[in-house]
Amino acid sequence: MLLQLLVNGIVLGSIIALAAIGLSMVYGILKFANFAHGDFLTFGAYLAFVFNVVFGFYFILACAVSVILTAMVGVGCDYAIWRPMRMKNANRVTLIIISIGMALFIRNLIIFMWGADIKRYALPVKRGIEFGTIIITQNQIVEIVVAVACMLLVHYILKKTFIGKAMRALADDIDLAKVSGIDVDRVIRYTWVVGMALASVSGILYGLLANINPNMGWFLLLPMFAATILGGIGNPYGAMAGGIMIGLAQELSTAILPPEYKMAVAFAILIIVLLLRPQGIMGTS
Amino acid sequence: MLSVRDVEKSFGGIRAVNGCSLEVERQSIVGIMGPNGAGKTTLFNIISGFEQPDRGAIVFKGENIEAKNSFEIARMGLIRTFQLTKVLSRMTVEENLLLAPKYQQGERIWNVWLRAREVRREEESNRARAHSLLRLFGLLPLKEEYAGALSGGQKRLLELARALMAEPDMLLLDEPFSGVNPTLGNKLLNHIKELRDRFNMTILIIEHDMHVIMRLCDYIYVLNRGRVIASGTPEEVQNDERVLDAYLGGGQYI
Amino acid sequence: MMIEYLITILLIASIYAIFALGLNLEWGFTGLVNFGHVAFLAIGAYTTVLLSLHGVPLFVSVLVGVALAGAFGALLGIPTLKLREDYLAIVTIGFAEIIRLFLLNEEWLTGGPMGVCGYPRPFEDIITGDYNLFMLSVVLSILILCYFMLEKLIKSPWGRVLKSIREDEDVPVSLGKNVFVYKIQSLVLGSMLAGLAGSLLAFYLQYINPRNFMPIETFYAWIAVVLGGSGNNKGTVLGAVILFCFFSATRFTQEYVPLHPTQMGALRIMLIGLLLILFMMYRPEGLFGKKEELML
Repeated sequence: MLLQLLVNGIVLGSIIALAAIGLSMVYGILKFANFAHGDFLTFGAYLAFVFNVVFGFYFILACAVSVILTAMVGVGCDYAIWRPMRMKNANRVTLIIISIGMALFIRNLIIFMWGADIKRYALPVKRGIEFGTIIITQNQIVEIVVAVACMLLVHYILKKTFIGKAMRALADDIDLAKVSGIDVDRVIRYTWVVGMALASVSGILYGLLANINPNMGWFLLLPMFAATILGGIGNPYGAMAGGIMIGLAQELSTAILPPEYKMAVAFAILIIVLLLRPQGIMGTS
Repeated sequence: MLSVRDVEKSFGGIRAVNGCSLEVERQSIVGIMGPNGAGKTTLFNIISGFEQPDRGAIVFKGENIEAKNSFEIARMGLIRTFQLTKVLSRMTVEENLLLAPKYQQGERIWNVWLRAREVRREEESNRARAHSLLRLFGLLPLKEEYAGALSGGQKRLLELARALMAEPDMLLLDEPFSGVNPTLGNKLLNHIKELRDRFNMTILIIEHDMHVIMRLCDYIYVLNRGRVIASGTPEEVQNDERVLDAYLGGGQYI
Repeated sequence: MMIEYLITILLIASIYAIFALGLNLEWGFTGLVNFGHVAFLAIGAYTTVLLSLHGVPLFVSVLVGVALAGAFGALLGIPTLKLREDYLAIVTIGFAEIIRLFLLNEEWLTGGPMGVCGYPRPFEDIITGDYNLFMLSVVLSILILCYFMLEKLIKSPWGRVLKSIREDEDVPVSLGKNVFVYKIQSLVLGSMLAGLAGSLLAFYLQYINPRNFMPIETFYAWIAVVLGGSGNNKGTVLGAVILFCFFSATRFTQEYVPLHPTQMGALRIMLIGLLLILFMMYRPEGLFGKKEELML
């Protein structure tokens, strides 16, 4: 029983982790909490659905298209909204309110175009594999594999590529990075690309795990923020670890709490971290 | 009036204040000098309670204040100004001053209704005092202007006037002359001297400008790398080798 | 028919105006980023309704609802008001969702997803004519009372301290003000207003369930405040009125537009989101705020 929860926790956790990486990086570099991040997750899931079910693409292809399109929309938003506000030196709260506006807009655009009912991808339903007392579905295996692959990819980008190092520099000290001659706008654009692409993947995986509905991303927002803050804002590795931990905590909590209160667990962790160690477990003072 | 003993404060790995001690006598103007990064503003923040020291003691009017909250310290009569002027931009000049007096009855939410008459009376007397202060600093014609619309020098004067409205026993002034033109600076200098002579105020001031320090201060402490490297009267300090060294040679630059 | 319709629009707009005035106190005047305002709407509504169903006199039920909303405001505020604005935003939104989860799941108390109905409304038996008209006069009187109370508060020295906290918290601190206490008072008062609006909303709807208290309600209050110019009570009230006139107008056009009601609903909220973005980008002073203030 506990082992099953552990498995479920890792699966959910890896989805939260993927989404939190992008959220954390944008938060660290652009210095604001993007409340629309969850709805980009939903957006990615729906795009994949549209190409898979409505246009009849192969699932993998639909996912690829969704990832590319979501990344493009993310960069588009930077051009249209975030960059002009950076030029105006907009304060944190203004950006947060704008992101709320975006969240409402995207979520309801999805409802407008595709309705509020639950949808699923056009994939054959497969039986789960039994390992003793636990059952793992094929989808869950795919999820973990994809999530790990993405995290490794992010790790590679951050450590080995110039852009990745620049991203880390920006998250550390943006003014110093500017003075060092780094093209800040370009790095920011790449950050959005990576963040939005990961959000899209995360959304698709979540759609595989549960179902596709307009509120899916919004319901993951609190766990995402909890993971981001737990791991230290701006720290992608922290976000990965934080995500897994939140996922585990949420699933394991169902052993003692009613399952409807999973979100409350993320909230509790969030409050505790903010009150006791706001820089997160992996952040520096 | 104020006694700082062996105060230390580190941020991360950096020792901003490294064993700093100083004394400020009643009704004197004491200056703190030092190159950028010497720890002057950090020291101010610690004294006024905006930062807590890692070690050391601060005694104000006979009481230990190193563990107190900044608002508590302000209530005891220690009022500070800020290096980058902080005026309340979207409030009028008059409102900026009216905020300052301590223990206003009208600031308690119940009194707004229960003691409406007293509140009004208190506001009237505070307003009269504010006007006389504004007149003293030459800001009276601007009283209905938004504080954010004032020039840099005017904002400095406003900040000083606001501090005075709080009827402090001691003032901490953080670089009050920076960004102020010479004419205004002269006026400001005389105002500050007047504060000591006429209003019996004790003043601790951070300042860079040697000329100002020479003309204004009774006693000077020179800080470098978080500790006092020299102290004395302006004449003594002016010729101290260590001071020249700190500013020109071994000091930290930003 | 037209009069009936107008009465309902004004009624719901006035209730939301009270709700938004509470938020305006917290955000517009004190600078607190409260994304969980709907929680207090819910607490006020449910407390009033549940108490009255258990025989508690209506007037007392409303008072307890308002008081409980304020108490929860303090409960939320005490650990969180010292947090930075973005953290406060995240925490408050989480708080509201937890409250909603509680309402949804604790069926024994709240009726769960089915909600509560059949509760008494003020003077129901006595009013023979148009009950909605009566409600409107009650709500309008309450709105006017709240408006003048807030205006008096904001012009007082107490209000001055709030505004100084909004402008730059270091200044009132350096002058000896206990900023934390003021923030709590602002949050509690704002939450009490939300609780009052909640009770009135419950009377108007005659049936409440958790779906009435989704996060979007908080952002209706936000758009009303932003439209009216933050820190402007008159503007907030006008903002609420404009918002609900807009909602009703879209319901009118429903018949002429080939869209499904769900789509119309979604389109409405898309517009709200767009308005929030556009106003914050190009006209942060709202429709009725002063532009000069923002140049400072």
